[in-house]
Amino acid sequence: MSITLDQVTKRYQSVPVVNDVSLKIEQGEFLVLLGPSGSGKSTLLRAIAGLTEIDHGRVSLHGRDVTGVSAREREVGFVFQHYALFRHMSVAGNIEFALQVRGVRAAERRARRKELLKLVALEGMDDRLPSELSGGQQQRVAVARALAHRPKVLLMDEPFGALDAKIREELRRTIRQIQRELGIATILVTHDQEEAFALADRIGVMNQGRLLECGSPDDLYTRPATRFVATFLGAANLLLGYRTPGGVRFAPPVRNDAPPREVVAVLRPEEVELAGQSDSLRSNFVGYGEVQEVLFAGSIERLRVRMPTDGPVPVAPGRDDAAGSVLEVSRTLPEQREFPVGVGGRVAVGARRIHVLPTPISSFTVVATDEREAQALRASPIVATLADRMQTRVALSLHRGETPPPGMPVLTSGPGSAAMVEWHLRHGAEQLICTPPTDPLPTHVVITVPDAEARDATLAVAASLLRHIPAEAIYLAIHPAATPEQARSACLRDLLDVRTAALSRHGLDMRTETRFGDFGTELTRELAAHQRTMLVLGFADLDRFDWQRLAELLEGAVQRPLLIVRPAAADVGGGA
Amino acid sequence: MAGGFRKPSVLPGFGLTLGFTTFFLSALVLLPLAALVFKTSALTWTEFLEILLDERAMASYRLTFGAAFLAAIVNAVFGFIVAWSLVRYDFPGRRLVDAVIDLPFALPTAVSGIALATVFSPNGWLGQKLALANIQVAYTWVGVVVALILIGLPFVVRSVQPALVEVQRDLEDAAETLGASPWQVFRRIVLPAAMPALLTGFTLAFARGIGEYGSVVFISGNLPYQTEITPLLIVIKLEQYDYNGAAALGFIMLVMSFVMLFAINLVQAWGRRRQAAAGR
Repeated sequence: MSITLDQVTKRYQSVPVVNDVSLKIEQGEFLVLLGPSGSGKSTLLRAIAGLTEIDHGRVSLHGRDVTGVSAREREVGFVFQHYALFRHMSVAGNIEFALQVRGVRAAERRARRKELLKLVALEGMDDRLPSELSGGQQQRVAVARALAHRPKVLLMDEPFGALDAKIREELRRTIRQIQRELGIATILVTHDQEEAFALADRIGVMNQGRLLECGSPDDLYTRPATRFVATFLGAANLLLGYRTPGGVRFAPPVRNDAPPREVVAVLRPEEVELAGQSDSLRSNFVGYGEVQEVLFAGSIERLRVRMPTDGPVPVAPGRDDAAGSVLEVSRTLPEQREFPVGVGGRVAVGARRIHVLPTPISSFTVVATDEREAQALRASPIVATLADRMQTRVALSLHRGETPPPGMPVLTSGPGSAAMVEWHLRHGAEQLICTPPTDPLPTHVVITVPDAEARDATLAVAASLLRHIPAEAIYLAIHPAATPEQARSACLRDLLDVRTAALSRHGLDMRTETRFGDFGTELTRELAAHQRTMLVLGFADLDRFDWQRLAELLEGAVQRPLLIVRPAAADVGGGA
Repeated sequence: MAGGFRKPSVLPGFGLTLGFTTFFLSALVLLPLAALVFKTSALTWTEFLEILLDERAMASYRLTFGAAFLAAIVNAVFGFIVAWSLVRYDFPGRRLVDAVIDLPFALPTAVSGIALATVFSPNGWLGQKLALANIQVAYTWVGVVVALILIGLPFVVRSVQPALVEVQRDLEDAAETLGASPWQVFRRIVLPAAMPALLTGFTLAFARGIGEYGSVVFISGNLPYQTEITPLLIVIKLEQYDYNGAAALGFIMLVMSFVMLFAINLVQAWGRRRQAAAGR
């Protein structure tokens, strides 16, 4: 393993900018860290190089723990966005710098310099000053300089950011070639997805300091696990789908007792098929729509098709808040020739392939007794932030105790809330949030799951939540104080399994803690350990649950945001 | 560049600006200097050389140039440190320190001189303590150097500050990842980048030190042959109505200052050429 990161966390003013990132990079692998600006990717890169100290976690390079080692002893090559060449030194001086400070003899230095200049195709430029070179050439020098001391890993922080398109592409090819030739583990940070696709063996997508997903470019594009990755890598229509016995449908099923089971479906623009009539479609018919906009973009044509109000529901509400959705469609030239369309035309829309996100949270429904309370809850930091970052619609519902709403219920904590929570859980809600409307965003999320059956579903929901809130996750396992000594080691092993499962299946990295004592006391202590704590509580059996404790949590003197997860009966097998 | 003038920029008319430059230089710098030379020419060569090589005058040259040079060197070192801490660190009161740096600029030099003399005189606040260690500052050449350090510090700090702001953090990070120790980073990356500015600051402080009068005369004690600076000697000659003698001494200072500043300028130009291609 060339680079191993284990729960790396970096905070600025107590807000984690890199949050619990664990990652392994093989010898010779090219990993691209992709994310919007401010996602923590550059900070993570600097942490690997030792230019930034980390607050928690470990960094290993080639099996050697370098967490406390300074940058100059880590033997990494680092390429900066703005080249960072030493302007008072010639190209030769720059490239030989690393060798010179190591006291390498002049003849050897010169040989290495010639070799590197050949590698980056700048032979004969030895005596130029950086100011006499073009941007692309300067970055080539920077790459050569970073490789001079034969580092074990190469780290590049947006190396092409300051270059224009053509030179960028050329340099990209050079770097890929050099990387292959040297077989050196490389991490490149960028916000340009095209660059990521062109270079990466694996792409890691970061947002809000977390590494959301990591996989081959192809995998991430066709089978993203999160909304963020689905929309950040390429364009995507995110639609609410409904799980029915016959598969995923876009139209809501006829209402019955239980709330419909929503899912989030990704429909890529290129997977949309257009035809004149529904029966001339070769794919699944979605509905009829009206062409709103046609843009010719060289090799492809981009269209926007408005779907009717009873058609598919977008996950994020449109800007005009009108019902119905606008689908992004892209078509190749042959498709255009086969069925030309113009603005205003009526078209039958088909979906060739949809991908259902495994994410458990599809939409929110704020449930309140009156309009004012509903608005207050809708505007609460936690709901507003989650809706915005998850790009999720928030429906308002005034509770009259009749039919359970679709989506994830959001309630106000306080007197009477425990009964409401119980009602929703007994009427089929699989997750719900109960929060004081004025609470700020939590910085710590405590996850605890008394019922082992509910564990996986709870971790999935917690992972989904933590992808959008920059908070630290702590998994708390509480065992009775009477647990015998020999059984305790099994408890600890179990905890390790939980951590591994959370990481591998949900991409959630968290700290774990085991306590032996009374459930209520230990939980209260952990919750009180930090200022802004949120509790994620998972359980499977409604009848075995201690509702009195829930009332204490929701209606007591100190109220905190609470997320309850109770997997559907089908997922657990038996139950209420 | 093939013999042409620089292209004109926002300011109108090359002719106009050059005209102003020439006029101001002539009226305010060259004309008075010419008068000085003219006045000196009233002397015969023997008289001139006599004044020039007078033992008391020779002692004053040594003190003036030596102290100014020493003070400028001290200022270059400490001014650099002050500028570094102001640029690189954010500490409480940073803005205040930043403002205090300029005080020697604003204060009448006589005031600083009297203040220094008070503090460093044998029964002054600091002087007492130093006297215990058998160090006397006031009324010795050390006092002269101290006064010139005070006067010259802002020149170095204000020249170096902007240069240090421009040394990108990236450069230091790059050097560190390449394996350079903190000292190597400073010696090979930071210092070369700040060197031209440091030399400018040094030159300014040095030039100011040569011409300084007000702050020095109070602390130096003005003992002939020992702590008498050349500007004071000129004043003494003026008070004795020896205008020609004063002019001759002034002329000597003019020539020596010019030669030294010119030499430093040459060093600077050489450094610049080595540093990077100019004009890009």
